[in-house]
Amino acid sequence: MKKINFDKVFSFILVSLLGLFIMKVLYSVAGEEAARFTADHYISYGVDETGAINIITAILFDYRAFDTLGEATVIFTAASVVALLLPRHEASMLKTEFTPVVQQSIAFILPFLWIISIFLISYGHLSPGGGFSGGVIISAMSILIIFTYGYRYMTRRFNVKKLSLIEDIGALAFLTIGLAGIIAGGTFLANSQVGIYPGPPGELLSGGLMPLSNFAVAAKVGTGLSVIFLSLARED
Amino acid sequence: MILVFPAIAILISMGIYAVLTQKNMIRIIIGISIVESAIILLLGAISYIPDGVAPILDQPYDTVVDPLPQALGLTAVVINASTTAIMLALVIKLYNRYQTLDIHEIRKLRG
Amino acid sequence: MIEIILMLLILLLVVSAAIALFSKKLLNSIITLSIFSALLVIILIIFQAPDLALAEAVIAAGITTSFFIITINKTEGVN
Repeated sequence: MKKINFDKVFSFILVSLLGLFIMKVLYSVAGEEAARFTADHYISYGVDETGAINIITAILFDYRAFDTLGEATVIFTAASVVALLLPRHEASMLKTEFTPVVQQSIAFILPFLWIISIFLISYGHLSPGGGFSGGVIISAMSILIIFTYGYRYMTRRFNVKKLSLIEDIGALAFLTIGLAGIIAGGTFLANSQVGIYPGPPGELLSGGLMPLSNFAVAAKVGTGLSVIFLSLARED
Repeated sequence: MILVFPAIAILISMGIYAVLTQKNMIRIIIGISIVESAIILLLGAISYIPDGVAPILDQPYDTVVDPLPQALGLTAVVINASTTAIMLALVIKLYNRYQTLDIHEIRKLRG
Repeated sequence: MIEIILMLLILLLVVSAAIALFSKKLLNSIITLSIFSALLVIILIIFQAPDLALAEAVIAAGITTSFFIITINKTEGVN
């Protein structure tokens, strides 16, 4: 037992030194007013350049859409790694037999979850939300189905093949939106600099191709995370 | 408002302490996800300007909160979930192989 | 007024992180982890970051907790 105490004490000292160092760095960062050139540009010109009211979605899907493309591939690789890693065989999920009350209420709730996610995705450029939160709610629906109705019920409707098909469609849609930027004369994924109809800010159909890329990323995030959960909860 | 930064430093050091000393693999993953959530809190805290307005500009406001760290933080949150999922998949695989969640046991079994 | 609430929430955040990391039973620490994420969502809303709060709420409090529960289920590591 002596050895473990030495480890604990040593790592405690090490970690508290790290904590003091981080605190010093954070205070020096918080102190001076960092010059916010890019943020000021986004705030002052964001709405009329991209037509989207929600500046964060404008940043994510228009000014820095390439980062979002990279981030969507992170989820894609995470899903394929988890699907590859986990074996199909003997891990058995504890069958949680819910009473019919729970199953009926979940059956009642699921369409409303679908409405919430479609609302968050399509209104992403007007109110907080956007492709990521809407997509994650879609994957939360598949998790809910697996918990209440069991793994087999879910795979009869949406097995891993169908889900990854939808994910690939989302990826291709996002790439075609990028190519549309090139076709319209600008660079890859440049939908508002090229003047693709941004529409009056505040309308539902404003923001150029942003609603479409919202849907594409939501499809990728939603199905990617459901594939992760399907392979985590996999049983034969 | 300035109390946030010591809290972030404490959270990060607590998470890393847990990663260093915990035996159960799932607790190590919890430690890592707490460090990641502390970074998300840091991004939110840095982007805040006193009496600024949330970056939804349905009409021009004068002081608006810095939207840049929040946009990048949004990506970071989703990537946290993916990395946690991969770590948990590895834990399941290790458990199927070695029938134990104890990291010291697994380190001993070289086989 | 908001300062006091924020200070209280940050205190709760650190306490729930400590419980999540060092509690005896594994299930307790996972439930406390989702409480930690819920507190983080409220703090992010106070910091005027609604997008970040929404994503953090749905992801960290929502599906990450279910990932943990599935792993515990699979490994029966409830010791």
